[in-house]
Order: sequence, then C-alpha cells, then structure tokens
Amino acid sequence: MLRVELRDVGKRFGSTLALDGADLEIEAGEIHALLGENGAGKTTLVRTLYGLVRPDRGEIRLDGRETRIDSPAHALSQGIGLVHQHAVLAPALTVAENLALGEKDSLWLPPARLAQRARTLLEAYDLALDPETPAGELPVAHQQRLGIVRALARGARLLILDEPTAVLAPSEVDSLLELLVRLRGEGRTVVFISHKLEEVTAVCDRVTVLRKGRTVATRPVAGLDPRELGRWMVGVDPPPPGEPPGGEVGSVALRAVGLQAGLLRGVDLTVGEGEIFAVAGIDGNGQAPLEEVFAGIRSLEAGKIEVLRSPLALIPGDRQRTGLVLGLAAEENLILVEAARGGSEPLFRWGLLRRSRLRESVRETFSRFDVQGEPAQPAATLSGGNQQRLLLARALRERPAVLVAINPTRGLDLAATGFIREELRRAARSGTAVLLVSTDLDEVLELGNRIAVLFRGRLYPVEAGRRTRERIGELMLGQVG
Amino acid sequence: MNVVRAWGVPVGAVLVASAVAAILLALLGAPPLEAVRALVGGAVGDSLALENTLVRSSPLLLIGLAVAVSFRCGIWNIGGEGQLYVGALAATAIATRAFGSAPPGVALPLALGAGMVAGALWGGLAAVLRVTRGVSEVLSTILLNFIAVLGVAYAVHGPLQEVVATYPQSDALAATARLPLLPGTLRIHAGLPFVFLLPFLLWLMLFRTAAGLRLRAVGLSPEAARYAGISTSRETVRVLLLSGGLAGLAGAIEVCGVTGRLFENLSPGYGFTAIAVALLARLHPIGVVPAALFFGALASGSGAMQRVAHVPSVTVQVVEALVILFSVGFALPRRGS
Ligand SMILES: Nc1ncnc2c1ncn2[C@@H]1O[C@H](COP(=O)(O)OP(=O)(O)OP(=O)(O)O)[C@@H](O)[C@H]1O
Ligand SMILES: [Mg+2]
Repeated sequence: MLRVELRDVGKRFGSTLALDGADLEIEAGEIHALLGENGAGKTTLVRTLYGLVRPDRGEIRLDGRETRIDSPAHALSQGIGLVHQHAVLAPALTVAENLALGEKDSLWLPPARLAQRARTLLEAYDLALDPETPAGELPVAHQQRLGIVRALARGARLLILDEPTAVLAPSEVDSLLELLVRLRGEGRTVVFISHKLEEVTAVCDRVTVLRKGRTVATRPVAGLDPRELGRWMVGVDPPPPGEPPGGEVGSVALRAVGLQAGLLRGVDLTVGEGEIFAVAGIDGNGQAPLEEVFAGIRSLEAGKIEVLRSPLALIPGDRQRTGLVLGLAAEENLILVEAARGGSEPLFRWGLLRRSRLRESVRETFSRFDVQGEPAQPAATLSGGNQQRLLLARALRERPAVLVAINPTRGLDLAATGFIREELRRAARSGTAVLLVSTDLDEVLELGNRIAVLFRGRLYPVEAGRRTRERIGELMLGQVG
Repeated sequence: MNVVRAWGVPVGAVLVASAVAAILLALLGAPPLEAVRALVGGAVGDSLALENTLVRSSPLLLIGLAVAVSFRCGIWNIGGEGQLYVGALAATAIATRAFGSAPPGVALPLALGAGMVAGALWGGLAAVLRVTRGVSEVLSTILLNFIAVLGVAYAVHGPLQEVVATYPQSDALAATARLPLLPGTLRIHAGLPFVFLLPFLLWLMLFRTAAGLRLRAVGLSPEAARYAGISTSRETVRVLLLSGGLAGLAGAIEVCGVTGRLFENLSPGYGFTAIAVALLARLHPIGVVPAALFFGALASGSGAMQRVAHVPSVTVQVVEALVILFSVGFALPRRGS
C-alpha cells in the first residue's frame, strides 16, 4: 500500500511559475483524478513525483515518510510508475524486449524465455499481442497499454497516467477505464489526468483541481456538481481589466461554414472587420485541425472557408516548430511569407533581394514591434518573447485584413504578453478581423469581442449576457445549455 | 571567429587526412615524401598538370554545386553520377545523330542544352516519385544511377555506336559541336571559365533571391516553411530539376569539351566524389570551388604518384575517404549540445 502526499510544491521555469504551492494527497487504493486548465501545472506536478522535475520547494511524503525522489529509477523502486500519453517505448525492439527493458537481469535471458515471460504478463492484463512484434508497429492504444503493463511489471503500485485518453478512440477509452477499475481492485493506486469530466465521474474516487499552479480543492467525486468543478478550474475572479476593443464592427471579412477536418465536426464562424473573435477551449478539442485548415496545410473534409478580405496572415501556435525557421536569420524569417509569394517589389527587384531596402525595412519593423536582437542573428538564438514578437511582426507587417492567431502569448512573461495583446487590439482597432484561438482564458476574456468555446470539434458561442468565467468553464467541460 | 569556423574545419580535415595518409604510405613501405612530391607534381607541377587538374575539377565543381543546393533543401540527391551520364548521352545523341551537320553555333548550344534538360528530367523523375508516391529520393536517385550507366552502355553498343562499329563508343563529335580549346592551352576548353562562374551565380540564387530563401527554409524546417505558405513539393521538384540540370551539364561538357565522344566509364565516379566535395565545402557554393580543385588535384596527381613513386593510386582514394570522414566528423555538432 502506498499513500502519497505532496506539500506546498513550487517550481519555476524561467519566467513561468508552473507550480505555486500545490498540494496533492493520494490515498492508497483509490483512483485519483487531476483536473485543471491547460498550463495549470498538472504534468509538472506528477513529474516531480516521478523524479523527472526537481521542485524548487515543497516536500514529498510516501506513507508518511519524507522522501526525495531524484530519478524515475528511484521512483520505480518506491513503487511509483508514470506512463506518458505516447508511451515511451523503443520502437525497433519487440514487445517482449520492451517489457524486459530496464530490468537488470532479464535482458540476458534467451529470447524464448523472454517471449514466454512477456506472454504471461500480457495475458494477465488481457493484452492480446504477439511478443515478437516491434513495438513501433503497434497502434497507439496498444503501445500505451504496453507502457502500462511494463510499469506494472516493474513493480508500480501507484500508477500515474498523464492524459492517456486524449489519444484514444471512444471504445479504447472504455477499455482503459475498465483496466483502471481492475487495478484498483488489485489494491493499486491510480493518478489519472484528464480533461474529460465524464471519464472522471465514471471511475474516479476523488478529484483534485489545480489552477495556476495551486491546488483549489480535493473532493470525493460522488455527488459533485459539475458546475462547481468548472468554477474551481477557471476561478470566479472578475474578468481581467483592459476592455475588449469595442469599436465598430464592419462587414464580414472571414467566414467558415461547416468545417470538418480531423476532430472538427462542423464549425461555423464569422469574423467582422475590426473585431476579435476569440475561441477558447482545452487543447485537443480540435484546435490543431482548426489551425491547420486556416494555415492551408490541411484540406477540409467538408465545409468551406471564405476569405472575403485579404491578405490573411497567420501567427502559428508553436513558434519553434511551425512558426519560425530557427536556422534562418531573424530578418529572413520576417520576409519568409513575402518570399513564399514569389518575392516582389519593393524588397525584391528582378528576383534579387535588395539588401539596403531589407535592412531599412527590418530595422523599422524591429523597432515598431520592439524586437530585441540583431536582424542577421539566427532566429534560434532569440529569446522566446522576441521570437513571438518576430512572428507577430511578420503577420502584422503587411497590414493584414484578416489575422488568425493561435496561442499568441503561450509561455511568455508578463511584459511580452501585455505587448502582444495590445498589438492585437490595435490591429483590430485599425480594421483587421482577428480570429484568436487560445487556451488561455484570461486572454480570451481580455481580447474577445465575441467568445466561443471549442469542445469536441464543435463551437459553442458564449451568450452575450453570460460572459463569465463560470459559463466558459462549463462550456469547456461540455456543460452545454 | 566565423572565418575560423568556416575554413578551419575543412582545412583541418584535409591536413589531418593527409597526415594519416602519409603514415599509411610509410607503413606500406613507400617513401612518403617522394610520393607526396610526385602527387603534387602531377597535380600542379607544370602547366599541363595544372590544366589537367582544372579540367578534372570542372565536373566535380558542377555536381558539387548540384549536391550542395539539393542538400540545402533537405533533398539527398545521390544521383549526380546518373544525371551526368544521361546528360552526356543526350548531348552525344544530339551532336552525332540529330544535328550532326548543323551550322556552327547551333549544334554546340543544342548539345549542352540537351544535356542539361536530360539531367534535369532525370532528377525530376526522383522528385515526382517522392512528391506523388513518397519514395525516398536517396533510394530513387541511387537506382536511377544504375539505369543511366547501363543505358549509356546499351547506347554505345547499339543505337549510338560509331558507324564503323569497331569499339563500343559513339562517333566523334563534329568540331561544330565541340567546346573549342582556349588559345595557348592544351586541354582547357571554353566551357571552363563559365563553370567557374557558376558558384557565384548559385550563391546569389541561394542567399539573395526569394527562391533561394524558400529553398533553404524548406531544408531547415519543412513544417515552418509550409506554415509560411511555401509548397514543399514544389520546392522539391524545383531543386531536383536544378540539381539534375547542373549534373547533366557536367556530362554534356565532358563529352563536348574533354572526351569528344561517349563511351562506358566516361566518369571515374565524379558524381560520388562530388558528394564529398559538397560536404567538404559545407554546402556553400563558393566553398565548392576550393573543394573541387582539391579533389581534382588529387585525381590528376594520383596517376603521377603511381608512375613515379610506385604507390598504388588507390591510396588516393583512401585520402579522399579520410577527408570525407574527418570533414563530416568535425563539421557535425556534438550530440546533445
Ligand atoms: N520544461 C519546461 N520549461 C519551461 N516551461 C515549462 C516546462 N514545463 C512546463 N512549463 C510551463 O509550466 C506551466 C505548467 O505546465 P504543465 O505542463 O504542468 O501544465 P498542464 O496542467 O499539464 O497543462 P496541459 O493540460 O496543457 O497538459 C506551463 O505554463 C508550461 O508552459
Ligand atoms: Mg499536461
């Protein structure tokens, strides 16, 4: 039996305070849900318990004894196992070899013995897999299950699952939940991170809600009011100051009708000139396909996007991966969209880049958007805030009529966040139609003229009279109506 | 600091490789100093040696550029050799069959143009396979090499064989289809100055045009390039056309400027050595010039080394291989840093 307490855990990553005195108390033999908005600190908290994150402060108690856990190996030796959403397996090794990995003696066993051992383990957990298949060839659900079996085989009595259901199909979710119930029956303890309320109510005994790195509440699940849960998640503070850009909304500049792609199940929206239309919601409800269809890199299965005013500019959601070409100079990134269109006057003449024009234009843009750095510096060496300013500058440089911005301030400090939000507001004031997709509720409340919540691939508009955290929190958890 | 980084690694690689090779020579019982003297003499010792080195550098330079631009775009064109062969084949076909008796000033440009187009199409084939079917260009270009080399063998035994049908080779190209020698030289053809101009043009293309920026963006981060509105498929096709065209031109120039006819084994592996040239140049078009000259000198000096110092010329291949190993080894960032 294992009883775990985390007390007053704090952890800072650069300018972000990921954990700000979080508590977590897990009884032996329960399924304990961990709930909270994106960025609330759930992953960081369980990673401290698994020895992957070293907390700045706070203590961990196992069965009442204070313990320092400084590596996953140490965590495992204490009976704590963690399985990532995409289980970390060696893709080229077989199922049997993966199960043997990390066990000191078993890699020396002959293959036949390994396979036999694997078969016994797999059968014990109803996993009909061929021990000889390379793990990389298994479907995601099986890889995840294999990760769980491996953690159990290494003696995990407390199993932590970080958003395991986000990558699963509904029927696979059911079978995973059944497995959790069964593990509880065997006397094991489970920590289950999820954004899906009905999964939590279906199998969990107690739930802890985190908000902005702090523990808001820990309660038994039975008899819990979902509305209250939503309120804990998003808080009841008044909406942040700074008024939404309440200017004149002009004619429609961007319209989407019945968008279907991947998770998207028919999204309709319109954005008017001078308006910020903000889409809130927890990641994984269709944000990725929404971004991809507006970026033009994913084709629609149904529906259409009408761009009635152009140009359309995009601020991609991942500045390091999809936003910037990190190996190119900052200035080259700045003109990449222009280069993609072929390169025309005034920056190019007869196809050749005009260096003096470029330098001039870049200096201007850098000072206008307050980008700290040298134009010729590789984008990789800029700080996160400056990388994001660079992306903002690239998008706003050519005065777009429509701007699609995805999580434009994710992971930034207060100064950079404030600057970028003000620029978005200013763009709207000058007539740009802004579609903002953000998992940051403050941002959505602060910027959106109109707000809608993306839940399971559909958009639920927030009624004009109910523009509160509570209402948005409810919609984020699927409490429609 | 930048200069040191840019030049230090390749120069260091060459020096270390040479030192290791000298030790190898000594172990083989050959007097290293004499061997090196013969090698250098054969490469740059007199004007004929020098001309020889320049002429051998030309295909290395062209294909080195071809490899460098494609690698910059993240496309691993290993097919320079095959593209060279189809270029030579097309140039020969035009010059000896289709336009053999065309007036001066027509046959030569046509032959060179045909070589370029043929090489481009050969590269384009790999691009189409990759873009439509997802076939890795590494695989397809390697396989296309075999087809091209065997295609040339077939041609010189069959349709393009000389009229007298004695040897498996084509007829000699008419003088109107040949690159004239520069006055006062024995081997330097009129194409060479142009070839040495190309690195500058490619540098301009890569670093001073929108097309070059797109190409490098795709090579560095295809994802971010796509989000910026660049079609990675289109860039793949373009760069393989360009890359294949350069290698095809190299083949056409070999036929029109150096050998005067087509035969099997036209190239002593220029297409493969050129990969080493591009890597030693760290994929920089200007850097390709010294790198190509270096490998050209090795190639032209190795014969003399064998003749004079009785060192087997394969040791030169060992040096080439060592240079590649060291330059690639030094150039790659340390893991985890
Ligand atoms: N290694 C890291 N370096 C910098 N910042 C980090 C790091 N790990 C987490 N953060 C930041 O800490 C905060 C909390 O992140 P965490 O991943 O714990 O949230 P979460 O509750 O798991 O969110 P989600 O529901 O999106 O998974 C976020 O602002 C995140 O950007
Ligand atoms: Mg998380």
